[in-house]
This record gives sequence, structure tokens and C-alpha cells, in this order.
Amino acid sequence: MSPRREQIILGIVGTLAFLVVWEIAARLDLINPIVVSNPSRIAAAFVAQLQSGEIFADLGVSLVEFAAGFGLSVVVGITLGIAMGLNRPTEYAIDPFVWFLYSSPLIAFYPLIVVWLGFGFATVVAITFLLSFVSIVVNTVAGVQDVDPQLVRAVRAFGGTRFEVIRKAILPAAVPLIIAGLRIGLGRALHGVVLGEMFSSNAGLGYRITFHAAHLRTADVFVPLTVLVAIGLLINALGNALEARLQAWRP
Amino acid sequence: MSAEAEAPSGDIALPFVMRFGAARPMIGAAAVTLFLLVWQIVGANEIIRSDLISYPSEVARTLIAMSASGELGSNLWVSLQEFLQGFLPAIAFGIAAGTAFALVPRLHYLCEPLIVVLNTAPIIAFVPIVVVWFGVGTQSKAIMVFLAAVIPILINTMTGIRQVHESWVRACRAFGASRAQVIAKAILPGALPPVMVGVRLAVGRAIVGLIAAEMYVSVRGIGRLIQVYSSSERAAEIFVLVAVVATFGFALVTLLRRLEGLIAPWSLEP
Repeated sequence: MSPRREQIILGIVGTLAFLVVWEIAARLDLINPIVVSNPSRIAAAFVAQLQSGEIFADLGVSLVEFAAGFGLSVVVGITLGIAMGLNRPTEYAIDPFVWFLYSSPLIAFYPLIVVWLGFGFATVVAITFLLSFVSIVVNTVAGVQDVDPQLVRAVRAFGGTRFEVIRKAILPAAVPLIIAGLRIGLGRALHGVVLGEMFSSNAGLGYRITFHAAHLRTADVFVPLTVLVAIGLLINALGNALEARLQAWRP
Repeated sequence: MSAEAEAPSGDIALPFVMRFGAARPMIGAAAVTLFLLVWQIVGANEIIRSDLISYPSEVARTLIAMSASGELGSNLWVSLQEFLQGFLPAIAFGIAAGTAFALVPRLHYLCEPLIVVLNTAPIIAFVPIVVVWFGVGTQSKAIMVFLAAVIPILINTMTGIRQVHESWVRACRAFGASRAQVIAKAILPGALPPVMVGVRLAVGRAIVGLIAAEMYVSVRGIGRLIQVYSSSERAAEIFVLVAVVATFGFALVTLLRRLEGLIAPWSLEP
């Protein structure tokens, strides 16, 4: 058996064992099945929410908020990152604010954002944006400053304009670090959507988790939670694939 | 030939980049001062409603008032206890499990899906279920801190031990070291730097888990205060609380770096 296959099989075995022990413990009343729930109840809740379409409605809301918040942070993050990377005074002036956002617990800011933007979509998008754009800025700055000066000189030697220098030399060379920043940003954006929905929304996967938990329907809580975990795994796989492609493309 | 032609490579990234060698702190400080000044003028003169954005001098006054009344101290103490009740077990368990996984790969494969799930899922999504399972009190907060903190410590311990230079181990063996001596002299010192990085990473995640859990439901603690003042739209108090949480995280990471410098001075070398 190849090591890779052994790894996969052991992973499946471990997961199944975990689920079986959980199920048996609930059946034997070792743990309270209503409060803790168990895999068979969760499966039933999953089927029910698929049939009622509830989970799709929440998924749709969350995906739109995710796309809006992350899309905004990509545009702002890369633009600001290039501006900071190219111009030292700009970098020095904005840097303290970026590092404040990076190191402070943004979760604590959500009440202010609710006060400013109201309850719902705009607030969720704003929190998603705030959480994800900083890692994109920081990595774009590093990527732009990391460019080999020889490349820049070469483009200029052949009469390249400032714009051409950016497009032909700086951006291509900065891409790997920008992609790394986008990867971190994707994960943080998902955090932002969940955070925003849990505390200041009445729709979406994050809201649905708190809604069912407030009604003590534990099995129902696990349905949106499982979908969120799946989105997290999907994002991670996407990031891996993107980086693998990039490795192949890089000289 | 002028000296400038051979400037250090860091300064010649781009020909049209303006060079400001020692200007970084000055420009940064000027920008922050300008920001605070504008904020003060706009807030204090009610150009924008000051209960929405507050202003620096009011935030400072509120900080002093909240400290003097003991409101800040007593709630910070509650949060700190919850934090330590989750974080210290996370360090112990993370290092123990990470070591076991590194030495026995099959054990790691068995638990890998669970670790991947905890590592990639947004950790705050687990807050409601943890509260349903462990109650609204201190215990659920400590569990959230544990869950958030344990994964980076575990993963970094595992990779840290795997990455210990083979040559160090062989060198120990060549001089007749026992298995215990190999672990004490080569593996532990080699793995310590990545473990410490994992612990530092865990601080930020644990704080988010703690504050989210306290905000979700709690009786006391900094997250509870944030929730209380947000429902009464008190911007100044919220800024104070944000600053307190940020300072706590910053202080803890600085402390950990100091500690690292004392017990493993080789790890802070670049």
C-alpha cells in the first residue's frame, strides 16, 4: 500500500470511528442527544433543510456577501498595495493604519460598523472587507518592493513608460506574493461573513447558526456549520491549485 | 563615480521611487497625528454626530473614567482568567499531540481530517454550538480559546519536529547520545522556534474566539462590555475596549518574544 493511500484510508477510518463513537454515546444516553445531538439526527436535519430549500437561501446570501466584500478588498487592496509599494512616502504614511488594522481585534469594531451602516448587508460586506483587505495590501506592498531592479531597468532601457514598467515588470513579478495575500484574504473574508452574519444580520449561514442555536435545535445548527466548513475546505483547495499552477508557470 | 550609484540594494528597488531613508517614523507619526487631529475637530465640533464616531480626547477621558470606576479592571480580569484557562491547556495539549503525531505518523493520519476541518473552518462559527454544549458561563469561553489556539500550536510542533536537521540527530548519535539525550539536545531545541511561532499565532486566534464567545452570550468580560455599549451606541467606550483588547494581544506577543529570547535565544536569529 502506498503511503498516500494509507494516509487517506486512515483518515477515513479515523473520521468514521469518531462518528460511530459519537452516535453510540448518544444512543446509550452517555451524552444528552437533544443538547449535544448525534450524526443520525444531523443527517436527518440536513435532508430536511435540503428539501425545504432553507440551506440554499442562506448559502446564496452568504456567497453574495462574500463576493462583494472580498471583491472590494481585492480591488482596494491591490490598488493601495501598488501605490504604497511604488511610493515610499505613501507607504510610510499609510503603514501605521494598516498595521493597526492588522494587529487589532477587528471583531470588536463590529458594533461601530453596525451603528454607521445599519443592520444587514452593508455591515456584513464592510466587516468582510476590513478583515480581508489588509493581508492583500501587506502582500502586494512586499511583492512590488521585491521586484528585481534589473527588470525595471531593462524595461526603462528599452524606452518603457512608467505605466509599462508597472504592467510589464512589476505586476508579473509581484504576482506570487499577491496570490499568497489573496489566499490569506479568502480565509479571513469567510471569517468576516460569518462574524457579520452572526451578530448583525437576519439572513445567511452565520445567522442561521445563531438562529437554530437560540432555539436549541442543535442538529439544525450543524447543517449551516457543515456547509461553512465545506466552503472553507473548498477555498483552501482552490488556493492550493492556484499556487501549484503558479509554481509551474514561474521560471 | 558617486557613492549614490552603489546604494544598498533595498533602496534602489525602483528608479522613480522617492528615497526617504530615515523618514519612515517621521512621516508615519505625522500621518497619525493628522488623523487624530482631524478626528478630534470633526468629532468635538459635532460635524459628524459625536456619539457615532466620538473623538480622541473623549476616548481618553472615557478610558480614565472606566479605569477609575473599576469597570475595566474587573471585566478584564474575568476575560484574562477565561483566556488562561483555555490557552495554557492548548499549549500543553498542542505540544503533546503535535509531538505524538510527528513521531507516529499513523496517529496523525487518523486525526488529520478533524485537524484540517478545525484549521480551515471559520472558528467563530463554532461559538453557538460550544455555548449550547458547555453553557453560558466561563467554561464555554475557555473551550473556545482552547479550540482556536490549539491548532496552530499542534501543527507547528508537528512540522517543527519533522524539520529538525537530520545532521544534528546524527551528530548526537555519533557522540554516543542515548535516545533521551537526542530528544533533549537536538529535537527539542530544534523544534522550539517553530513551536513558539505557533504559540504567537495562537494568541490572535484565541483572542478572537474569546471576544466572539463573550459577545455572543456572557455575564461579564470585555466582550460582554462591547456588546452592552454597542446596544447603547457609545462609540467612545467601544474605542476604549478595542484599544484594551489590542493592547492585551500586543503585550502578550511581546512577552512571548522576551520569553523566547530567554529560553531559546537561538530562535530569534533571522
